[in-house]
Amino acid sequence: MEASIFRSEEMRLAQIFLSSEAAYTCVSELGEIGLVQFRDLNPDVNIFQRKFVNEVRRCDDMERILCYLEAQIKKMNIDVLNNGENPEAPQPREMIDLEATFEKLEGELREVNDNAERLDRNFLELTELKHVLESAQIFLDQESDASTSLSQNLIPAEDGRNEPAQLGSVAGVIPREKLAMFERMLWRVSRGNAFLRHQDIATELKDPATGVEIRKCVYLIFFQGEQLKLKVKKICEGCRSTLYPCPDSAAERADMLRGVMSRLADLTVILSQTTDHRERVLVAAAKFLRVWLIKVRKIKAIYHTLNLFNVDVTNKCLIAEGWIPADDKDVIRDALRKGTDKCGTSMQPILNIIETKAEAPTYHRTNKFTNGFQSLIEAYGVATYRELNPGLYTCATFPFLFGVMFGDLGHGFIMFLFALWMVLREKPLAPVMAKSEITNIIFGGRYIVLLMGMFSMYTGFIYNDVFSKSMNVFGSSWHVGPNATIEIIDNHVPEYMLDPADRTDYVGYPYPVGMDPIWQVAVNKISFLNSYKMKISIIIGVVHMMFGVLLSIINHLYFKRILNIFCEFIPQVVFLLAMFGWLVVLVFTKWIFYGAGPEFDTPHGSSCAPNVLITFINMMLMQDDDVKENCESNYMFEGQKQLQTALVLIALLCIPVLLIPKPLILKSQAAKRKLRPLVGVIVVQIQGQEGEQQEGEQQEG
Amino acid sequence: MLDSFFNIDSGYLEGLCRGFRNGILRQADYLNLVQCETLDDLKLHLQSTDYGNFLANEPSPLQVSVIDDKLREKLVTEFQHMRNHAVDPLATFMDYITYGYMIDNIVLLITGALHQRPISELMPKCHPLGTFDQIEAINVANTSVELYNAVLVDTPLAEFFGECVSEQDLDELNIEIIRNTLYKAYLESFYNYCKGLGGTTADVMCPILAFEADRRAFIITVNSFGTELSKEDRAKLYPTCGRLYPDGLAALARADDPENVKQVAEFYTEYRALFEGAGNNPGEKTLEDRFFEYEVKLNVNAFMQQFHCGVFYSYLRLKEQECRNIVWIAECIAQKHRAKIDNYIPIL
Repeated sequence: MEASIFRSEEMRLAQIFLSSEAAYTCVSELGEIGLVQFRDLNPDVNIFQRKFVNEVRRCDDMERILCYLEAQIKKMNIDVLNNGENPEAPQPREMIDLEATFEKLEGELREVNDNAERLDRNFLELTELKHVLESAQIFLDQESDASTSLSQNLIPAEDGRNEPAQLGSVAGVIPREKLAMFERMLWRVSRGNAFLRHQDIATELKDPATGVEIRKCVYLIFFQGEQLKLKVKKICEGCRSTLYPCPDSAAERADMLRGVMSRLADLTVILSQTTDHRERVLVAAAKFLRVWLIKVRKIKAIYHTLNLFNVDVTNKCLIAEGWIPADDKDVIRDALRKGTDKCGTSMQPILNIIETKAEAPTYHRTNKFTNGFQSLIEAYGVATYRELNPGLYTCATFPFLFGVMFGDLGHGFIMFLFALWMVLREKPLAPVMAKSEITNIIFGGRYIVLLMGMFSMYTGFIYNDVFSKSMNVFGSSWHVGPNATIEIIDNHVPEYMLDPADRTDYVGYPYPVGMDPIWQVAVNKISFLNSYKMKISIIIGVVHMMFGVLLSIINHLYFKRILNIFCEFIPQVVFLLAMFGWLVVLVFTKWIFYGAGPEFDTPHGSSCAPNVLITFINMMLMQDDDVKENCESNYMFEGQKQLQTALVLIALLCIPVLLIPKPLILKSQAAKRKLRPLVGVIVVQIQGQEGEQQEGEQQEG
Repeated sequence: MLDSFFNIDSGYLEGLCRGFRNGILRQADYLNLVQCETLDDLKLHLQSTDYGNFLANEPSPLQVSVIDDKLREKLVTEFQHMRNHAVDPLATFMDYITYGYMIDNIVLLITGALHQRPISELMPKCHPLGTFDQIEAINVANTSVELYNAVLVDTPLAEFFGECVSEQDLDELNIEIIRNTLYKAYLESFYNYCKGLGGTTADVMCPILAFEADRRAFIITVNSFGTELSKEDRAKLYPTCGRLYPDGLAALARADDPENVKQVAEFYTEYRALFEGAGNNPGEKTLEDRFFEYEVKLNVNAFMQQFHCGVFYSYLRLKEQECRNIVWIAECIAQKHRAKIDNYIPIL
């Protein structure tokens, strides 16, 4: 058994017979260890026709109540207790208790809320009435003294008419945003014969149904005649405004206002008591909410799983099928035993392993270190069953490639410290980080970040970059030699060229580890480092690709796919080496055999060093550039041109080898396979007919 | 307009809309739905579709009306989300879609008011896409002039109202005439707007709106038999942006009985097929259902082209048909009347 990070676990298809009493507890135990992937044995049955659909529905209902509770608790800004407790799924009989508790809570809460809403509505009405009365006082005070009545005619009666026409009035409150529309409509309907005064209510009022704060304003409309009164009232109703009675005389208004004020004071007391009661109920519920939610969801998950099972004809037992890791058979047996013990039946569950050719699910056992890397891999794709797991190599290559890109000792150190903090304070941080999706991603990959930080520090050291500055640890190999005369320095020449051939400028051996700090002040820093890092990247990239292709042969050998080795692996390797492997060889050749200084002759001097990129492009296009002055050739060695042409041809040859033979061979194999069962059928038929038609066959034969 | 510029302003919304469309129930879903024994089964199955938990907060037992309300609420939320992110010309286009609902709401409220029903009771029945500020004050009006002057003059419907201003009191017949005149003006205006937009939008929307216009003409004619509506008045109600215009409409205006209508339809290949085999006998589909089926076909086809506004209209229409289907199935289940449960109109 090679259960390791190299490959996914070996899986077995298991059939489990569970007695109907013990099924619930057994599935609960299996759920806690999370090692079984159950198969749906009733794929043709609708969800609502399955055996435990009623229980699932009851769980749905409980969840609904809990969601309602949660919404209420959130609205009151009460914290839900979270002590990281993970309760086990309760016994099915406890479900009734839970349901009863929840229903009682919901009923109580709804009653309190209804009461509160009624009180709120009452409160709102009284407050609005108060504002109406106060505003009416202001409107009318502006006109005349306090004795003026509302309905007094403001226009002197015309001659010839004895009785003065009475003015009607309506007072009410309307949401502020509707006022403009309201006023316009009033004007249109009354043809300008209604007079509207309005005033904003300074305080915000609470809508009792939704609890949203709304701004309203008080209005007072004066008009003449019954007809108009009817219309005005209709408009008022239509615009969702509330009408309030407003007595004519100031004395009555003052009287009413006093009454309203005292009732408001009473109401405030009752309201605060209701709110207190509500809060007490919710605080009590908030303590258990999380545990309840977990319990209900666990029950629901168990019944969903039970719905996947087959019911035995005798109705006494349930048959489950599922994939289990071969190594964990005993763990699962233990869990099953524990489940049976819990429910107290004597009938032990039976676990059979079925031999099958069906494709097993991939299961990688991970620990907290490899987990992050494994999920990184699975973001790209999940390996098929027993395929080589790239997770192991990723643990090193991913952070390293990150480091190559993010090479800076200082920045890497900050990253490293941050990851270290997360790793060291793992336990207390876990619940905090889980709250937000973004922090959760970073926390889940804390070990990746840790390694990324370390590799960044390493490559940063090689690049000699600390917050984009260099450290001169071993002493630079470059100095400003005696060639730099006083004039040059005094005249503040912006540039001074250091000559690598001159031993007074360059000591003759490179900086021991990493980049020489002198490059930090060099004018050609960017062009040098870019070219250098580009070459490094090519080498690392080609090695990385080569490694990936080499890994595939392990899969081909393991699954005995010989065809893939010859038609896929070998041409791939040849192609890669002929093109990009050669590029790497060119880079190294140039590094080793070319340079400046007395030990290199002119053809190998800095002015004659061939450009690797141009060489490579010319190799592809099979063409030649003109040879530079004073140089021998464009090539690094004798016969390079012929070799390169051969390499290009080999690489081109690989393409048809990669594309053509494999599909053809697969097709012919499939055609053969199709033939074989047909042969079988014929044989069966002949055997069946043998007895009856022996004579006929013999005649035909 | 180059089609590809469409994406600058409305590409996101079109993607969103196409995503929504992929959630439309398929034949397999309907087959499962009609097997349900109770409404709770229905809820359970709808949970496994794109509807998700839209009924999760409703306590059992479920009512059909609750399902209807929630279906509509979900659709309206989706539509308004898209409308809120839209910019012209899509914004105007989507506004145009809502005008149709406004007309229906106005007619609903006036009819209700005629029967002395309070507005507050009628408001929940109005389609939320067709509400506007002044709508609740609609019972101020007793005549169509008042209706125009007091209520509609500030709404986008004002431009459609020109032809139906009269001093007559609002009564049942009058209201129907107002509704159809408004609708005629609305359809023609919408048709011209789409045509003005040009490009794929016009290609897709004009046939759909033309069919809508023709359907109204047919239905007005069929419904007018045996009422006091005179032939001249009837002819005024036909929208003129359809394929029936002008010959077919003239023939329809002369029609005296359903047989005449069928004869008119004979001249048009698409419509002949709809009238053939339509009837009220068991086993036959009603003419209304045939029209719905054809409309669904047109709307599904609208998604075959890209970079146009038509998908928003078509999505709304398809989703409405789906709501009708689900409500129909739910009603059949609730009333234990399973014989007709298969009379829904499959979309995809």
